[in-house]
Amino acid sequence: MISIERLSKTFESARGTSHLALSEISLDVAEGQFVSILGPSGCGKSTLLYIVGGFVTPSTGAVGVNGKPVTGPGPDRGPVFQEFALFPWKTVLGNVMYGLVEQGAPKAMAEARARALIEMVHLKGYENFYPKELSGGMKQRVAIARTLAYGPSILLMDEPFGALDAHTRTGMQNELLDIWERDRKTVLFVTHSVEEAVFLSDRVVVLTRSPGRIKTIVDIVLPRPRIRAELLVDRRYQQYVVDIEKLMDNPADVIP
Amino acid sequence: MTTRLPAIPGLPPLLACAGLLAAWELAARFFDISGLPPAHEALRELPVILTDPESLLNILASIKRMIVGFAFALAFAIPVGLMMGRSRFTAAFFNPLLMIIYPVPKAALMPVIMLWLGVGDASKTLVIFLGVSLPVIYHAYQGARAVEEKMLWSAAAMGMDARARLMRIVLPAALPEIMVGIRTGLVLALITMVTSEMIARQQGVGDILFNAMAMAQYDTVYATIVIIGILGFVIDAAFELLRGRMVAWAEPVHEIAVGTT
Repeated sequence: MISIERLSKTFESARGTSHLALSEISLDVAEGQFVSILGPSGCGKSTLLYIVGGFVTPSTGAVGVNGKPVTGPGPDRGPVFQEFALFPWKTVLGNVMYGLVEQGAPKAMAEARARALIEMVHLKGYENFYPKELSGGMKQRVAIARTLAYGPSILLMDEPFGALDAHTRTGMQNELLDIWERDRKTVLFVTHSVEEAVFLSDRVVVLTRSPGRIKTIVDIVLPRPRIRAELLVDRRYQQYVVDIEKLMDNPADVIP
Repeated sequence: MTTRLPAIPGLPPLLACAGLLAAWELAARFFDISGLPPAHEALRELPVILTDPESLLNILASIKRMIVGFAFALAFAIPVGLMMGRSRFTAAFFNPLLMIIYPVPKAALMPVIMLWLGVGDASKTLVIFLGVSLPVIYHAYQGARAVEEKMLWSAAAMGMDARARLMRIVLPAALPEIMVGIRTGLVLALITMVTSEMIARQQGVGDILFNAMAMAQYDTVYATIVIIGILGFVIDAAFELLRGRMVAWAEPVHEIAVGTT
């Protein structure tokens, strides 16, 4: 569904120096796969996500979705950002409805769908709250509901739980999997947490330190639905985490 | 439980005004300052001015010019400021112009403007327009620049094009900052209104003031100053009410406790 061919990105700074952020990334993501992009800070994993989303243009290489090249952002690839990026002048309901109204849906239908999604992310009763009145976890749930509302076939999630405390984070991971199980969208999930990547994904793409190259791709063969209490004591889960953490310890080497 | 005095709404400004008037009265009585009438004499002139039809016409004409200049300024300055905030090219284009005009007192531009537009409404309205535009452009620019990139990206993913993003995302997001700019603009509207009338004498509240000064009618002079002050206070208070409603979503949720009671 997503094909990334020999993607590179060089950033030019104002002072004229250039920084190679990503180098020769080639990756294919099949429909319905949950793929994590894992790597140390600054390795370019978010940049890779932004290029797939059409928010940043690549320097070389190409990204295609269902055979068509990516030329800019679009409602087929819905982002969820670490900073939530909610519209502060709109209520929870207004935020979640926004994409649907933008696509021309009649207001009554948009509102009904938004309310259903708000209930699905366990925020029923908060429809008329403003973002400033919500906690981090609540804001992220609104952000997820807002993106799901306009029905993208691909979810691009950029360390969405990075700003949350540990307990909220694990709760949100479970909620995300619950939501994902419903229609199994294709997900690209950027994180720097090995455990999070293994817990959530079908495949983990491990990037090297900057300039980011694909170090290796690990297929995660664990049964779904993923239940945290079971997985934490599952030898296979633990082995995946240990192996990948070892990979991360040598962040420069590329494993062919 | 006793209510603390500063907590009663409206009381602090009223007390401040009363204090100011008292100080004025005492200063005029005990010090022999020529040209400074006691407060009560100036205040006695207030109803005289306000019930005189010609004076009222003058005041209303001034207010009309102020509103027209102010409205045109907003219609021009907000879009320009927003575009400057989001486009380096637009900013580079307008910045030099603004940097030249900003520090010049608009009153100093009056003689030049009068040469082109005469001494009537047009020249005065233009000066008011210039005075209001600059702080509004500046704050719209700053507000637009500070809009979170990821918010715009989220809107782009929903299918919004650049123009839609400017008017429906950048504008509301920058609105709190723009309102601060408009508040400054209101003050400058009042100031440029009076100073333009000082130079292009025809009619207006400034005309009343400076005529009275020329005729040494100091009661009227100070009464007019009080009128202008009240006008400014009322406009500002009304604007603050509006601003509170429009950008309530941007105010901090919990009241910040200031040190002293």
